[in-house]
Amino acid sequence: MTISGILTIIMYALAPFAWLIVAGVVIVVGLHLLAYLRGYQVTRHRSLVALLLAVLIGLTALVWVPWFTNSTLSYVATVFDWLALIGAAIATFVVALVVLHPLSYLISDRLTDS
Amino acid sequence: MHKPLLLNRRELLKVATGLGVSSVLPLSAVSANTLQTQAHIVILGGGAAGMAMANRLAARLKGGTITLVEPRETHHYQPGWTLVASGVWNANKTMRPNAQFVPRGVMWVREYAASIDADNKQVALANGSTLEYDYLVVATGIQLNYHLIDGMSPSLVGQHGIGSVYASIEGAARTNQAIETWLNSGQGKGIFTAAPTPVKCAGAPLKMTFTTLSRLEASGRRDAFDVDFMAPGAGLFSQPWVNEFVKQRFDEQGVNRRHHYRLSAIDPQAKQAEFTFVGPESEFTSHHELREAEFRRDDQPTVIADYDFIHVVPPMSAHDFVKQSALIAQEGPFRGEWLDVDIHTMQHNRYPEVFGIGDVIGAPINKTAASVKAQAPVVEANLLAVMQGNPLPARHTGYTSCPMITGIGKAMLVEFGYEDNFAFMPSFPFIDPTAESWAAWVMKDRMLQPAYYAVLEGQA
Repeated sequence: MTISGILTIIMYALAPFAWLIVAGVVIVVGLHLLAYLRGYQVTRHRSLVALLLAVLIGLTALVWVPWFTNSTLSYVATVFDWLALIGAAIATFVVALVVLHPLSYLISDRLTDS
Repeated sequence: MHKPLLLNRRELLKVATGLGVSSVLPLSAVSANTLQTQAHIVILGGGAAGMAMANRLAARLKGGTITLVEPRETHHYQPGWTLVASGVWNANKTMRPNAQFVPRGVMWVREYAASIDADNKQVALANGSTLEYDYLVVATGIQLNYHLIDGMSPSLVGQHGIGSVYASIEGAARTNQAIETWLNSGQGKGIFTAAPTPVKCAGAPLKMTFTTLSRLEASGRRDAFDVDFMAPGAGLFSQPWVNEFVKQRFDEQGVNRRHHYRLSAIDPQAKQAEFTFVGPESEFTSHHELREAEFRRDDQPTVIADYDFIHVVPPMSAHDFVKQSALIAQEGPFRGEWLDVDIHTMQHNRYPEVFGIGDVIGAPINKTAASVKAQAPVVEANLLAVMQGNPLPARHTGYTSCPMITGIGKAMLVEFGYEDNFAFMPSFPFIDPTAESWAAWVMKDRMLQPAYYAVLEGQA
């Protein structure tokens, strides 16, 4: 398959979710920008709550990802099925952490100010 | 005054890809892929096959004329119809304007073809005009012969407990409603049928049975419903392993299989169907040799069955105007019904300037969109070779694919070809074609439609 073919397939696949992707990017960029303006640094900030919440949200993917694809967890059967679903859960965990990590900083910063 | 440069999504993609490719390839390598010609190429049909060929030839030919004959303004993603009829997808998800896919430089004639004069290289259109061609690509798809079932008409789909996923997108949606009505009644008998001819998406009658079984089981009242499957031959599917799997699964799920019966008549008001016993020797394969005349035998025993829901699969053939042309097969299993092409080169067996692609061709398997994906590059390469007087360089393996839905939420990604008695040809080594999986379902539900549109655009 050509590069252009792969790009075409990806564009058609993502098109229905374009608004969701744009909204997500805006939220992530906005949060990070706001947090950085208040002194946030990814490597320095530690938040066990954000980490645990991200893990929990990642685990929920095991249920809602099959549901989102009009299926159920009980039909996740083959090794590849599980690898794909665990991959989706890890991706969900990463996205959740990218949102929650700066958010936890902003919340703790505000609590410190008050 | 300059017009503002406005690019649509496809053009933007082409520019982006072009910039990427041109950065690594010398210009001569790109231009060597195009052929200068003055030829007139007519493509009959703008479905998956015709549209893919229009895009591929438009990209490869310079100077010639390409005419696409397609009367419909809307393109239907037909592989999605089983999901619509199963209540999983909304009908709107399967429709896009044809204008989105017709490439620049291709003359789109919005008219039905009426006849083909292969000896004089002419196509007559329904409006009385005529197109002359140097090369012809026949991609006219399939004709649904509901009229060969007495009392049946596609307009009945959705009424009197009749469903038929093949009828149209509206028919698929009405089939879902008919199944819903049957489910809500809380009991009764459902009959699922198959056709005694090659059909497009040969897995669809089985998929409709499996998805309906899913819905019956989900209702919690499975035991209150009877489900029969009436097959015209001993088999249910052309791929041997899948055939045995489906039979076994039907037995496990309480489906009463009856073989060697074809649906011959239907009485919608009485909700009764007549099935004709076609004999124990009848062996349904996708190259089954059953002619229209044979549908009308009066000496065959029949059975009358009551139903609360029936899924009707009509007999199918090439369109009448193709059947009436010299291009139709004159002998062999496809005689009088399907286009006479070499199933490997896709070239017509008697008219070398004619190629066939898609559902219309006489081939033992291959009436799927996945087949079009495999056939289109072969037709492109071989047509260009004929135009240059060269030997045909490409051969079709018979590759076809059926995401065999075995329940709402799971499927098997079945891919196979002509060789070794329809042996599996898996595209992904990590997906077992014999295993029901969520991943195969996700491909059907989410990924195949984007891949299909890439095929239409000549990109895959």
